[in-house]
Amino acid sequence: MGKFNNDQVSAAIWFVIGAIIAIASLRYKLGTLASPGTGFMPFLAGLAIALFSFIGLVHGTLRRKQGVGWKTTMNGLMWGKSLIVLAALFAYTLLLTPLGFSLCTALFIGFLLRTVKPQGWFVAIAGSILTALGAYGIFEVWLKAQLPRGPWGF
Amino acid sequence: MDFSQSIVMGFQVALQPGNLLFCFIGVLIGTLVGVLPGLGPVAAISLLLPATFHLTPVSAIIMLAGIYYGAMYGGSTTSILVNIPGEAASVVTCLDGYKMARQGRAGPALGIAAFGSFIAGTIGVLGLMLIAPPLAEMGLKFGPPEYFSLMILGLTILTFLASGPMWKALLMAAFGLFLGCIGLDTLMGAPRFTLDIIELSDGIGLVPVVMGLFGISEVLLNVEQSMERSIFETKIKNLLPNLKDWADSIFAILRGTVIGFFLGVLPGGGAVISSFVSYAVEKKISKYPEKFGTGMIEGVAGPEAANNAATGGAFIPLLTLGIPANAVMAILLGAMMIHGMQPGPMLVKEQPGLFWGAITSMYLGNVMLLILNLPLIGLWVKILKVPYPILFPLILLFCLIGAYSLNNSIVEVLIMVIFGLIGYLFKKFEYEAAPLILALVLGPMLETALRRSLLLSAGDPRIFLTRPISAVLMLLSFFLLAYPLVPWLRKKRAILPKGEAED
Repeated sequence: MGKFNNDQVSAAIWFVIGAIIAIASLRYKLGTLASPGTGFMPFLAGLAIALFSFIGLVHGTLRRKQGVGWKTTMNGLMWGKSLIVLAALFAYTLLLTPLGFSLCTALFIGFLLRTVKPQGWFVAIAGSILTALGAYGIFEVWLKAQLPRGPWGF
Repeated sequence: MDFSQSIVMGFQVALQPGNLLFCFIGVLIGTLVGVLPGLGPVAAISLLLPATFHLTPVSAIIMLAGIYYGAMYGGSTTSILVNIPGEAASVVTCLDGYKMARQGRAGPALGIAAFGSFIAGTIGVLGLMLIAPPLAEMGLKFGPPEYFSLMILGLTILTFLASGPMWKALLMAAFGLFLGCIGLDTLMGAPRFTLDIIELSDGIGLVPVVMGLFGISEVLLNVEQSMERSIFETKIKNLLPNLKDWADSIFAILRGTVIGFFLGVLPGGGAVISSFVSYAVEKKISKYPEKFGTGMIEGVAGPEAANNAATGGAFIPLLTLGIPANAVMAILLGAMMIHGMQPGPMLVKEQPGLFWGAITSMYLGNVMLLILNLPLIGLWVKILKVPYPILFPLILLFCLIGAYSLNNSIVEVLIMVIFGLIGYLFKKFEYEAAPLILALVLGPMLETALRRSLLLSAGDPRIFLTRPISAVLMLLSFFLLAYPLVPWLRKKRAILPKGEAED
């Protein structure tokens, strides 16, 4: 990344995204100015993204010439922890329906309590069970939200 | 119906026991949300939106509005005691509020923040009552071109006020417009960018996007930092400010009220910007500007008044024109639509009970907040002591349940998690999410207004410049967009605060 700075890299990615959106919009027909079609607005939005990112690319390049380089965003941070949380969130999304709300929630809370800033086993287990029960009581019983039930009915 | 009759009707609605209860619940939750760093009113309203589905529309709006202005009260507590703003609009309160606490004056700082908030909040509601009906009348004259130009102005103002380079804010707005296009075409009913996922036919939901961008991403950023926080241990006494404190603060409160209210009305303005502007004004007109940042009570009173007055002002464009001024109002707009209401010029005529009931409930909510905030400060401090490693899994769980229970759909949860990751990257690469949210909400309305205008004019884009109201709004937008060509304006924008709008 040494050759480029953050703005150059992010603007280049945005440019590609904008171009893809604009091209994909053509499938939906642009229509005419007197009768704009379904693809008209997303095409304009894609074009605007590409335009503004191009400006960003120029801006970033000028700043690079002034000596503004790549700024690392991870130094001194425990970024592995955000990765763990993100993985837990995706896992929760995948397992919610097959495992059911209560078990999935207990596992999710217990995992986070044990891994991110590790708590003792007692806190993790008690915390996960109490949270799952409390959330079930509030959302399922009181607020009548229809949360997924696993094969065991809860 | 004249003004006094309207107010009586409003109080009749707001004083119904059920509505009173939900107003209380709203301000209590709002204060709690304001106190807890990392959870702002946007995330809280999104979270609780599904819980309001069983309520009447009036109770739902009263409660959700209570969360918004309640958060402004609560945010000052953490700024003063912990030097961590509970929400973005209280960032500036840290500067002098925390210094006052270190000097043993936490009591007067918290007291003046609460009283200032109360005075400003009440005046703000009064302004809302006076301005909203005539503006709604004017809104009836708006056609598609005027609406289009007004929405463009709102987006332009927000991008102008956003921190960092303007191209980033404009890019975010354009991306928000694209996200707003996903789903069925509003005029033709044809699906766009749905990837054959049925849930996307209704478009990308605002709530999962907001919870992801503001709630999940905030947690992701917090967990990678040290999660220790120290609360300044001091005995909080003398919450009632003395006469000198009042003399020093009262004009700051009144100025903050005026600044906050009018910046709140502007689409794209709002509580965060107004608190910074109020602080800058107080510093500029003070005889002792050099003492700001060392524990000046005006530095607490003005911004706290401004952010509360802004909440009243922000309701004006929403209730009268159906245009949200900021991300919180955007969610409220969504909430009103879910409850079968269409905010806009006709709301005051078609649903006066709801319109005036919601407004008068804010008076009552402000009184409740004053009563709540001062005696319960000890309780809020105790809540602040809940360690973040215990708190963050609960915040995540609330977000997950909130997203799922919107439509009982796992797709919404997935969207939220993906936007959590996107929001995290936005913050790392210094992109502000507020313009995206406003554009996402305005997107479908903006597209309809644009296409109808072009149909009306047989494809002639000059329609936006030949109708007087539309032309004025467009010229204002062009002026703001052309700022890089005007050196003094560029300098002015450069001093604007860094911060998330209304998160």
